[in-house]
Amino acid sequence: MTDTVIDVRDLRKTYRTPFRRKKVEALNGVTFEVKRGHIFGFVGPNGAGKTTTIRTLMGLIRPTGGTATILGHAIPSRAARYKVGFLPESPYFYDYLTIAELLDLAGRLFGMSRDARRKRADELIERVGLGRARGQSLKKFSKGMLQRAGLAQALMNDPEVVVLDEPTSGLDPIGRKEVRDLILELRDHGKTVFFSSHILTDIEAIADQVAIIARGQLQALGTPAELVKRTVLGIDVTVRIAADAAIDELVAGASHVRRTGDELALTLATDADVDAWLVAARERGAKVIAVEPRHETLEDLFMREIAGAA
Amino acid sequence: MVGRIWAIALNTFREAARIRVLYGIVVLVLGANLLAVVLGQMSIHEEQRVARDIGLAGISLFGSLTAIFLGVFLLYTEVQRRTIHAIVSKPIERWEFVVGKYVGMAVVLTILVAMFAVAMILMLAWQQVGVSGEIVRALVLAWVEVLTVAAIAIFFSSFSTPFLSGIFALAMWALGRVTPDIEAAIKTGSGWIRATAHVALEIVPDIHLFSPSGRVVEGALVSVNGDFITWGYVGLASLHGLGWIVGLLAFACVLFHRRDFA
Repeated sequence: MTDTVIDVRDLRKTYRTPFRRKKVEALNGVTFEVKRGHIFGFVGPNGAGKTTTIRTLMGLIRPTGGTATILGHAIPSRAARYKVGFLPESPYFYDYLTIAELLDLAGRLFGMSRDARRKRADELIERVGLGRARGQSLKKFSKGMLQRAGLAQALMNDPEVVVLDEPTSGLDPIGRKEVRDLILELRDHGKTVFFSSHILTDIEAIADQVAIIARGQLQALGTPAELVKRTVLGIDVTVRIAADAAIDELVAGASHVRRTGDELALTLATDADVDAWLVAARERGAKVIAVEPRHETLEDLFMREIAGAA
Repeated sequence: MVGRIWAIALNTFREAARIRVLYGIVVLVLGANLLAVVLGQMSIHEEQRVARDIGLAGISLFGSLTAIFLGVFLLYTEVQRRTIHAIVSKPIERWEFVVGKYVGMAVVLTILVAMFAVAMILMLAWQQVGVSGEIVRALVLAWVEVLTVAAIAIFFSSFSTPFLSGIFALAMWALGRVTPDIEAAIKTGSGWIRATAHVALEIVPDIHLFSPSGRVVEGALVSVNGDFITWGYVGLASLHGLGWIVGLLAFACVLFHRRDFA
């Protein structure tokens, strides 16, 4: 069994504008691999090429160049689609169906038997927390509920590979956590998950591999640990200090200064004398809550790469 | 394959059954039948023929308009609303999707034509006209016409917007209804008229075959009321319709296969 589940080589997609026939390169030689059992996070700003890449992989768009395979099958492959679950971006479903009917339709397209469809649908409806909305048409679903319905239909065939386009988009913090937990659960069951997101903390929290795309080109690819520099960018200090205490000297030269009630948080430069700063703070009656090094985050990397691409 | 096509057809049926315009069309057909009774009463000793002709014309007209309406919207809205993304990303071929949409539409249209036919038969019964073989054959022809027009609409909808698809389908249907006049233009016209008429005759289905009343065949005026419309004729006309349906759907599948769903 091959270790590479999704293999994308020099993928290109060029559109032409309707009247002036001007070329627009949506994808310009994108190359990456997704390994079995990994969670692959695909990040990029709006218009970067994330959704075009995903739609190309799912056979919705025909590439103008390059190759891509899923589970060894060249796209668009019906054989591969039997083993892939897909959640489109901002999913639109037939709003006159109930969740059970939507899953039944999905099951029929996968060639599942009536009993298998019913059993799997019951299981998934409970799993995505839509048991109480079972009898409602999708028209009455909130955006978060539609996203859950979309996740359920993506899992109907118990896929080996799950492709999720912005799965946490439009969800509240609880919904986002539930989706993250679901993705982790899928990986624990040996599934490979490829997902795109704007929410970098989601990617950083769960992805084994991250790719950053901008202007149709991959800007960075690797594990979060590989990508994010471990060098210390500053020292984050949080102290509790009387609201009326003079802090002008303490905040001089610091960045990210934030004062909330009697709590003061700031970032000192890496070469700052932290011990001397703490002594000065204590002299003003401050109590130290936290002192920790500030490392580069995925967000810092993202902003750096996007700025580089621009 | 059959299971997937049927799944799409079933879903299309569900979708179409929710379109309120269809219920309006049913009301219009019932109205046409009432009008047929009134106009029949106004005629002199032609009550039955007028009622029958208007009843059949209503089925043909409203059935075809419904077919165009469903054909241009049901496929297009799948792409426009992006509901197609969650469908064609599953193991279904695009041609199966197009055929499934057509089959679903055909089921809806068949039910509608059956309802129109029942309304017409009731109206005729009220006029004390029994259901003769000629009427059954005319109903079958109207049904085949409606299914052919649906295929025309699906074909245009596979690559165009509902507005343009509607215009093209309507034009093709209208031209198909007047093929004898186009043939006459070839015989009597000259220059560009003849050339245009030749082209028109080649690219439109002979929809006039499905409403043969008033057609001149071998020098004689034939009518649905006459004995000319045999089951053999119905079979040949249906084969003509089936050929066009298969051809148009095949082109629609090819065009749909090449589309990007961005």
